[in-house]
Amino acid sequence: MGDAVRTQGLYKRFGRQVAVGGVDLVVPEGGFAGLVGPNGAGKTTTLSMITGLLRPDGGRIEIDGHDVWADPVAAKARIGVLPEGLRLFERLSGRELLLYGGQLRGIPLDEAGRRADELLRVMDLVEAQDKLVVDYSTGMRKKIGLAAALLHNPRVLFLDEPFEGVDPVSANTLAEVLRRYTASGSTVVFSSHVMDLVERLCDWVSVMNGGLVVAQGPLDDVRRGRTLNEAFLDLVGARGNGEEGLSWLGTSAS
Amino acid sequence: MTWLFVRMKLSLVRGSLRGELARQLGFVFSLLAAVLMAVAGFGLFALVRLAPHDVALDVVPVAFAMFAAGWIVVPLMAFGLDETLDPARLALFPLTTRQLATGLFAASVAGPWPIASLVALSGGVVALAHGPGGVLLGVPAVVLQFAFCIVISRLVTTALSGALRTRRGRDVLAVAAVFGVLFAQLPNLLLNQRLAADPAGLLASAADVLRWTPPGLAAHAIADGGLAGVADLVVVAVTVVVLGWLWITALRHALVRPDSSNQGGGSVRRSWAGGLLPGGMIGAVVAKELKYARREPRGRVNWIIAIFVSAVVMFSLHGPGVSAGPTSAIGPACLAALVIGLQSANSFGIDGRSLWMNAVAFGTPRDLRTDLAGRHLAMAVIAVPLLALASLAAALVAGDATWAPAAALTAWGVLGVGMGVGALTSVTVPYTYPDRLNAFSGAAPGQGGQAFVSSFATMLAVAALALPVALPVLLGTTWVAVLAVPYGVAVAWAGRRLASGIGFARLPELLAAVSRPT
Repeated sequence: MGDAVRTQGLYKRFGRQVAVGGVDLVVPEGGFAGLVGPNGAGKTTTLSMITGLLRPDGGRIEIDGHDVWADPVAAKARIGVLPEGLRLFERLSGRELLLYGGQLRGIPLDEAGRRADELLRVMDLVEAQDKLVVDYSTGMRKKIGLAAALLHNPRVLFLDEPFEGVDPVSANTLAEVLRRYTASGSTVVFSSHVMDLVERLCDWVSVMNGGLVVAQGPLDDVRRGRTLNEAFLDLVGARGNGEEGLSWLGTSAS
Repeated sequence: MTWLFVRMKLSLVRGSLRGELARQLGFVFSLLAAVLMAVAGFGLFALVRLAPHDVALDVVPVAFAMFAAGWIVVPLMAFGLDETLDPARLALFPLTTRQLATGLFAASVAGPWPIASLVALSGGVVALAHGPGGVLLGVPAVVLQFAFCIVISRLVTTALSGALRTRRGRDVLAVAAVFGVLFAQLPNLLLNQRLAADPAGLLASAADVLRWTPPGLAAHAIADGGLAGVADLVVVAVTVVVLGWLWITALRHALVRPDSSNQGGGSVRRSWAGGLLPGGMIGAVVAKELKYARREPRGRVNWIIAIFVSAVVMFSLHGPGVSAGPTSAIGPACLAALVIGLQSANSFGIDGRSLWMNAVAFGTPRDLRTDLAGRHLAMAVIAVPLLALASLAAALVAGDATWAPAAALTAWGVLGVGMGVGALTSVTVPYTYPDRLNAFSGAAPGQGGQAFVSSFATMLAVAALALPVALPVLLGTTWVAVLAVPYGVAVAWAGRRLASGIGFARLPELLAAVSRPT
């Protein structure tokens, strides 16, 4: 079994700030991979470069063995993306958005319609399918975004913070869909801050800190008997325990 | 407390300047413009003194009233709500509404434009005052007129701010603002001829109407300089206080009213026209573009502006002294085509941050070319009948309906040239359309230069490229119009071909340029 995603020395700088300083990210095929790290660790930048939305300053990216920047046709046909910030075509209805995405990928309209209907049903968006995306709640936007990313049945799915700001009901739906998808041998890579969720869903973890991958491997190898949260705090170096200062804070102080 | 608000405003200004050179240049530019306006305003008012006193008495109230109107309209359209002025941001602080009102008033006074207005308005004293009484009353009159401008402006923004913060409210307002401008221009058009005939009479009748408004009263007080003037000023002062009280009430209301922008929102009908469109990617792009022209306020605003500008051109080119002939029908039609074609100068701007969806799907330059072709096709679907209509209207206005076919053919050709050039500027100088009330402003902060270069370059290039067909037609060799459409189609095709190669190579940069934060 090969690697679904493999980067070598991926590097990106914004001005003097090094956002990603030589990332070697590996995700095995069929894996359900979590990309975790504190804010500013370079997760979003890395995912943007892997999906061809941001030009790296250096390094190689391969998806299923195809170089994203040298062979974009093959690479882009294999990926589905849900980027950060819920950027969608706001003035299309949910259904129109799915059909548009499908047709961009060369799927005939009637086939795209069939797939869109099924996705909308699974995502519990049937009632909202003819509303404009601009009127959707955060959870609905994440769900329609995931549906749009899945419509062309990609081999590898990249999700940037798919569970951020999503209520438990929608999060459960998202997780169920992703589980079914990876069970069929496809690969998911998602970034998150929520360690519990990563622990529950993933079989592979990459931990980023300060623009580098500091730990990577099967979930059990990374946590080594601890909870993922403890392992994560050890890896990125927990800062301060909040006990010094703040003497005025709290009812007894006044 | 008041001083704190002023300092907060100043540090906001400073913070927005930090780092970016383009913004600093923009700030220096607007500072210079404010100084220029202050000097010019003051100077123009001072010059009024040289006119006969009764004319001066007509001019100053009208000018004062125009200042007030400007203060109401401009902050709504040009700047939206700046950070210090949105009371909702201050809702959590333990402030009385009086503290809020005086603080916000002081904060809105602290800035280059209010101070420039005050300087310009004080020219009114120079224009009208006679004797010490005039000067003595003139100073409070100017201050009161200035306070009136600020308070009424804040009252309007505060009253509307609830509506402005909601999305639907902004949509409605953006479109309404265009119609507002349109209607404001209408009397202008109608008056054009009358103004030439009798400017003084028009001015006098305007001054008569405005005499009893607060700006008119303030101006009259300066000129009077006596007891009647004092009475005038009392009325103005009372008005300012009442408006201030209304403002406080509106503030109090705004602070406790929730933002209800996410409720409601109806469904859209499934499109039946989808079946008429070509299948595949090009059909998808055309369908999306047509929906955006209808549903996206910025899209609607662009089309309305294009129609409006063409209408103005059509009527203003046709007046006494303009030679009648095919030119007066073909010229406006071509200009309409140019204005519509300018919309394609930043094709990807309207997609903004959602353009990634195309970017992750496009694997070859061919895909980008199809995308551009879809956008052009969608534009043609709207613009071709529109230009035919405009040509017919222009021909009828010019006096001979038989000029319409030549006008329409030439206009379609110019549109094609516009789209071809626009495809190139779309990929070489793309910029972000800001997503806010101000549907008129060109670009996100710091990208004004790109926006200017983009539309200016497009305009020049279109004019130059359209010349080979448009010039002979305009000079009277009307049969050349037959060649205009194939020529336009060819230029559009060439533009797409070139642009897709350039654009695909710099797709990430293109994406970044249209998704800047606004």
